[in-house]
Amino acid sequence: MANIFPRWSNFLPLKIAVCAGSVAAGVALAITYYATPKAQVVGYQPAQPIPFSHKIHVDQLGLDCRYCHSFVDVSGHSNVPSGNTCWNCHQHVQRDSPKLAPLHRSMNPTFAGYDGKPIEWVRIHKSPDYVYFNHSAHVNRGISCQSCHGDVHQMEVVYQAESHSMGWCLECHRAPEKHLRPLEEVYNFSYNAEDYLKANPQDGISSAKDLGLKLKEQYLVKPKETCATCHH
Amino acid sequence: MSKRILNHPSIPADETTVSWRSQGQLEDSASFRQWLEREFPQGAAEMADGEDVETSRRSFLKLMGASTALAGFGMASCRRPEAYLVPYTKAPEWVIPGKATYYASSMPRPHGATPLVVTTFEGRPTKVAPNHLHPDAGGTDAFAQASVLDLYSPSRSRRVIHQKKVTSVAELEKAIAALAADSSAKLGIVYGTDVSPTRVRLTEELKKKFSAAKFYQYEALTGDVASALPDGVKLAANFSHADRILALDCDFVGDDCQGPTAAFFDRRKPEGRDYTTAPDAASMNRLYVVEGAFTVTGGMADHRLRIAPSQVAGIAAAVAQGLGIAISAPALSDEKHLAWVAALVEDLKENAGKSLVLAGSRQPAAVQQIAVAINQALGNIGEGKPLAALQSEAIGLGSLAQLRDDVQSGAIDSLLLLTPANPIYDAPADFQLSELFSKLKLVIHHGMRTDATAHAATWHVPAAHYLESWSDARTSSGVYTVVQPMILPLYPDCISEFELLLALLATDGKLLFGEGKDGAASPAYDAVRATFSAIGGAGDEVWKQLLRDGFFAGSTYAAASLTPALGAIVVPAAPTTSALEVVFATDSSVYDGRWIDNGWLQEAPDPITKATWDNAALIAPATAEALGITQELRVPEPKTKFVGVEGKYAKVGPDGEGEHRTQRMIEISVNGKSLKIPVLVSFGQAENVIVIPLGYGQGFDADDELKRDTSKSGHVGLVGVNTGFDAYPLRTSASAYIATGATVKVLDQRYSMALTQEHHAMYGRALAREISTMVDKNKGSFEEQLADVPKQGNDSHAPPNIYLYKPEDTKGEPLINDKLHQWAMSIDLSSCTGCNACLVACQAENNIPIVGKKQVAAGREMHWIRMDRYYATQADNTFDAGNPELVPQPVACVHCESAPCETVCPVNATIHSEDGLNVMAYNRCIGTRYCANNCPYKARRFNYFDYNKRNPLIAKNLYKGPFGVKQVGEAPHLQRNPNVSVRMRGVMEKCTYCVQRLKDAVIRQKRGQKQGVLESGKPSPAFQVTETTLRIPVDSVKVACQDACVAGAITFGNLLDKEKSAMARSKEIARNYDLLHYIGTRPRTSYLARVKNPNPKMPDAAFVGKATVHMV
Repeated sequence: MANIFPRWSNFLPLKIAVCAGSVAAGVALAITYYATPKAQVVGYQPAQPIPFSHKIHVDQLGLDCRYCHSFVDVSGHSNVPSGNTCWNCHQHVQRDSPKLAPLHRSMNPTFAGYDGKPIEWVRIHKSPDYVYFNHSAHVNRGISCQSCHGDVHQMEVVYQAESHSMGWCLECHRAPEKHLRPLEEVYNFSYNAEDYLKANPQDGISSAKDLGLKLKEQYLVKPKETCATCHH
Repeated sequence: MSKRILNHPSIPADETTVSWRSQGQLEDSASFRQWLEREFPQGAAEMADGEDVETSRRSFLKLMGASTALAGFGMASCRRPEAYLVPYTKAPEWVIPGKATYYASSMPRPHGATPLVVTTFEGRPTKVAPNHLHPDAGGTDAFAQASVLDLYSPSRSRRVIHQKKVTSVAELEKAIAALAADSSAKLGIVYGTDVSPTRVRLTEELKKKFSAAKFYQYEALTGDVASALPDGVKLAANFSHADRILALDCDFVGDDCQGPTAAFFDRRKPEGRDYTTAPDAASMNRLYVVEGAFTVTGGMADHRLRIAPSQVAGIAAAVAQGLGIAISAPALSDEKHLAWVAALVEDLKENAGKSLVLAGSRQPAAVQQIAVAINQALGNIGEGKPLAALQSEAIGLGSLAQLRDDVQSGAIDSLLLLTPANPIYDAPADFQLSELFSKLKLVIHHGMRTDATAHAATWHVPAAHYLESWSDARTSSGVYTVVQPMILPLYPDCISEFELLLALLATDGKLLFGEGKDGAASPAYDAVRATFSAIGGAGDEVWKQLLRDGFFAGSTYAAASLTPALGAIVVPAAPTTSALEVVFATDSSVYDGRWIDNGWLQEAPDPITKATWDNAALIAPATAEALGITQELRVPEPKTKFVGVEGKYAKVGPDGEGEHRTQRMIEISVNGKSLKIPVLVSFGQAENVIVIPLGYGQGFDADDELKRDTSKSGHVGLVGVNTGFDAYPLRTSASAYIATGATVKVLDQRYSMALTQEHHAMYGRALAREISTMVDKNKGSFEEQLADVPKQGNDSHAPPNIYLYKPEDTKGEPLINDKLHQWAMSIDLSSCTGCNACLVACQAENNIPIVGKKQVAAGREMHWIRMDRYYATQADNTFDAGNPELVPQPVACVHCESAPCETVCPVNATIHSEDGLNVMAYNRCIGTRYCANNCPYKARRFNYFDYNKRNPLIAKNLYKGPFGVKQVGEAPHLQRNPNVSVRMRGVMEKCTYCVQRLKDAVIRQKRGQKQGVLESGKPSPAFQVTETTLRIPVDSVKVACQDACVAGAITFGNLLDKEKSAMARSKEIARNYDLLHYIGTRPRTSYLARVKNPNPKMPDAAFVGKATVHMV
């Protein structure tokens, strides 16, 4: 009786196994890369109702972060500016720019489409509901806005610069010296540790790393790694 | 199969204390043992009864299939949904997004306002706490804590109703304007019994405008005090001066408030309020209680005499005679009572001027008079004395009886009901109020619920909550206290009491309410401000001070004089088995019925019976025996039709507890009416007395277990419907609180009850410990007993310093190593009454859901604090063997340093933090429940269902999974604390020590660094931050339960503050012990033994102060 299976089929199971295995591995790799915050949220750059440029306001005009995000150093939540903060200037400056129509709609009673409703800014940085993050705990201890939000002062349209994943948080909580700055420099987007050391020489400290370590010691910075630090 | 059983050493031979949690345990410890061995009650972890099983397996697969398919559709848009940040247009001053804003306000109560500090988040009130600045500050009880939920209640009335039809406010405005235009209107206005200066002032103006108007006050259960005292006179106790207290059927720490009780509790601690002095028995007060059924006050008593409430008059008269007051009364016949009273009289005499006699408000006026006479004879009344007689400004208000007469005589023909009571439902039956209403041409009801009275009235006006309205109030001692709104009424048609009154006063009768034009304040604001300017002076400064502090310092009632009129005392015949006594009691969950739609209160277990969601008739064990129903109560009805099936397939456990627990129904006939109600055995109750808590049974729908009349289903919301039994129809005005001559018939009917008394029962020796200040022949002096507290139970055998698990890592570094904060707590059983305030406060703070009656019965209640209630008696108690001591013990997670739960978690979802917390990461938890299984304190709670998202009150809704009805209404989520995760199905949770408050305090303290840098004038890298910079000030953070506790029983703080912290001091005193110390878990929460201060001359003194609870 002839063989039902030809000779070439001897290796078929193995081939199928190898193929299936590599497909599975491929899928797993793809998921581990693409389904993580690093790939999913970094670069998220939605269009905003008003094309607000941080580059113009921060870099060119030199506004401090806290002019608009006024409660970042007292509250856990860093507020976006209320309508009247924008209106303070824009009732005089660039008043007739068509880009500011949503602001007029919310703040200017003489505007044709005025409804008094707030502007709905699209949220970019969002941590899950089960994560408690407190801005004031960080900016008051020498962690700059820049460490988490990137070079916002250069952004025409804001996007998410860092992954904000748990691993990313823990990287800094385990080694805060990489990001610690003198308190005076927290809101300074053009901060550079070397330049700072030149302007303010510190005893026996020459590198950015040493400055970070010194600040960690001076400030008694001991970031926690327990779950309840952020999850409660 | 079963868990390993710890082999506790046998109880020493000289130990006479017998302690128990429930009847099942007392009588049949073998079957109760099964309960002790389980972490969760029988069936809690299973999908149980017939229909549930049907929905379980097959339809689970079906539902799963469907939801997976839906998920497939959803995948098309797997990008993160767009979320928006919506700032204010014009940012309000003081509001910082993400931070709480606190306002001082107060909650008007029948016995005087409760001063509060209200937490609001972006305008939403989420939590109330006591105002510690206030001179009458104490805590907040469960009602005050739960009141914030009423604001967001889905069943809250929100539309005007006219002739049973919803109508617009404009129609109401017309009716009010018509009424206001007629200055000869025969108008009657009924207020509540709280005192509000603005209301008094407006009433004077109304009297001027409406010459024929009459004014009344009515609340259902405020008692006979008003008829015993001159008009407007109130008694207020000052417990700081009271060395000896006699409570005659007076639950003054519970529902029958007689003045701020904080000072009373301070003197229950031998070391003083904050544990600053050496233990001194002489500094303690001594409490004598004469009562019929256990109340939380009776549980605190040093000497408790149980006697039918109708017989209290006899005891009161005997005490008065003993003190030389001429009074004619029948002599006491019982030898034991005579001896008890004789020793009591002697003690009162010795402490003349420093003693206090309080008569319960449900006692007849004669007893109130005797109490006044005794206090006068002892010189207890006056400035700096334990009792003050005060003249309030609320005078000239008629009673309900006068209202009836005026309606019948035609003196009034229109009625405005502003009282928080529900008179159609809760007035004594002989008033026949609905008939009376039909004689009136106009009845306007103002209330937050569409209750029976709302349905009977011509108009129903939805009321604004007290957190939404401007008002003012007096506390029990008369301190002027403001009620300020946190938010505009949630629903635009809601109107406050003063807005209605002001419309009547306005010349055009215009009803102004809510926010006025261009954001103008409500006219009630101007009215309150005008009243205040007469009391505190005009000007912005005093007004701002009032709004900031919440009260006006130095304002009190004027002193009043009293002349008790003592007539001959008639004591009714003592109740017998054939002529029982019925006592109508205030309920600890629904009060007089007004809180029936409040889920937190409904689910809070009654402090004494541990019943949730229902009321029941309570009888003493001996009475049950005499009535022949003991056997009925003991043996549960098997619900399975297969006789003899036990164990897993039986519908009821051998002890009858659990999901299918049912109680025997009885029919009580009294005053010519009868009531069918389930019966519960209540220990320590006087014999031949039936206690029925009032306030339940307001409406039933088709889902009712007993298929009762559904015509009143609209009177209650989803929370209150089908709960309990209405005993109000049994009351008449002559027997409003105590009715005699009742008979009982045992029915062939049973009713399911959700009791939590055996849920999460703990093993162990000396769980709650008690000592006495009196010298005991075995236990020695007070000092010796104090020294022996840490050795009670097994603890003297435990090796010192044992750890269940190693407290250091592999390198030998300590694991709990935070040098700034090490959190810990102590709970003082000496002042804890078991009142539930902490439990409800915890629920409000930590977003704890309610689960509904069926789920509670299955043992799935979610309360993080379990208020254990033990009974303990002495085997050799010859004075009264049926009068055990009641020992409450709140148990939540004790944050073991060496926690058994942590080692068994397969996913590290529960771990230890550096600052000593045992923390839960909900997002990591996969729901194995191993941790709960391994917790010796049974402190962990599991979300069997999505209680927060799905409505647990709709029958079988939870079992429908994603197809179930969601939580109703737009409002309940607004109450949530934004800093606490809302837990989902399938995760474990437990007490966190309010970690969100701790984090908030610690983070706030970090801002001190910046301050330090600025002050030093140096660049920040040169500034050395120290531990003092970063450590929060001593005792500056309060956890929710601690803050709410009026008794100061809970202290919390940082162990590293050492003796500066009251908590750390409390841990150094002799009374301190760890729960289950000998197993080596090193809990951070410790307990302080209860101290009883008996009078050695009392006949029952030898049996007091030994209620150390063993559960073996």
